[in-house]
Amino acid sequence: MNKKRDRLEIIHDILYSIREKAGVVKQTHILYKSNLSHQMLVEYVGELIDKSFIVEKEDKKGKNHYELTDKGHNYLSDYKTIRNFVDSYGLN
Amino acid sequence: MSLTYLSPSWFFGYEVVLELLFAVIALTVALFALKIYRISYQNQIKLFGISFSFISISYFIQSVFNYLIISKANENISRIFKIQSIARFDAMGLYAHIFFMTLGLVILAFMTFKSDKTRIFWLMLITILFGIFLSVNILYTFSLFSSIYLVFLSWHFINNYLQNRQKKTLLIALAFLFLLFGSFHFLIPVNHQLFYVIGQILELFAYLLILLNFYLVRKK
Repeated sequence: MNKKRDRLEIIHDILYSIREKAGVVKQTHILYKSNLSHQMLVEYVGELIDKSFIVEKEDKKGKNHYELTDKGHNYLSDYKTIRNFVDSYGLN
Repeated sequence: MSLTYLSPSWFFGYEVVLELLFAVIALTVALFALKIYRISYQNQIKLFGISFSFISISYFIQSVFNYLIISKANENISRIFKIQSIARFDAMGLYAHIFFMTLGLVILAFMTFKSDKTRIFWLMLITILFGIFLSVNILYTFSLFSSIYLVFLSWHFINNYLQNRQKKTLLIALAFLFLLFGSFHFLIPVNHQLFYVIGQILELFAYLLILLNFYLVRKK
């Protein structure tokens, strides 16, 4: 049985799912890739927007999509270090 | 009153250097934690960084005051600032060290609760600070409270190791056990001069383990 994911890992999975699609995705793609309920996803996406990891934008057809910011990219590139640090002190 | 009265005379210079080393290691880990916080925005990491900053300040103060006592610069400072007695000046250093170390330990313990209820933190802090500074023997009470907190913290880090068996988690669990063994001798009737030196050496091992963990965490 897989271990329950913590916040750090869920945030990583959401950001990673956006990066996989060249940094621009619709919410349905994140929902599919992150394996979260819709309500949980809305909470996480709201938090990621607040923390400037992603930005919400509107395309020409008026549909919303999400883009990864520099902060989001930094989180992904430093994830291993963050993970190591958090695990060694049990901060998760 | 200062901690130097517990220390044998031959150890005076060494303890100043050791405390400075502890301060530098704690500050290094604190700054790294705050850097990680700026990337991840996880509250636990911020609390950890703040707690280690206070622990670093407490060691730095202890090192500086012990240096002043050894170099007898405390006599001149007491005269310049018209502090009534040298002992009172030395006590100020000890109280500042106790205050910042207590603050660091309380924040670290609060961090392990993973709670966002700040009222719990203030209750813990106020209770312990009143307990220490209103007691007859401040140093003894501080040692008692810090040992209790270190038992709790060691238990947290051992539990973390048992749930996540890695070299890194083991290093931190051992480090906090060393810190605990290095502090609790104040509570039992032993030759404190000898145990003070042993305690400082155990603290050295603890901070070297924390430093080794820091290296492993940063290793790509």
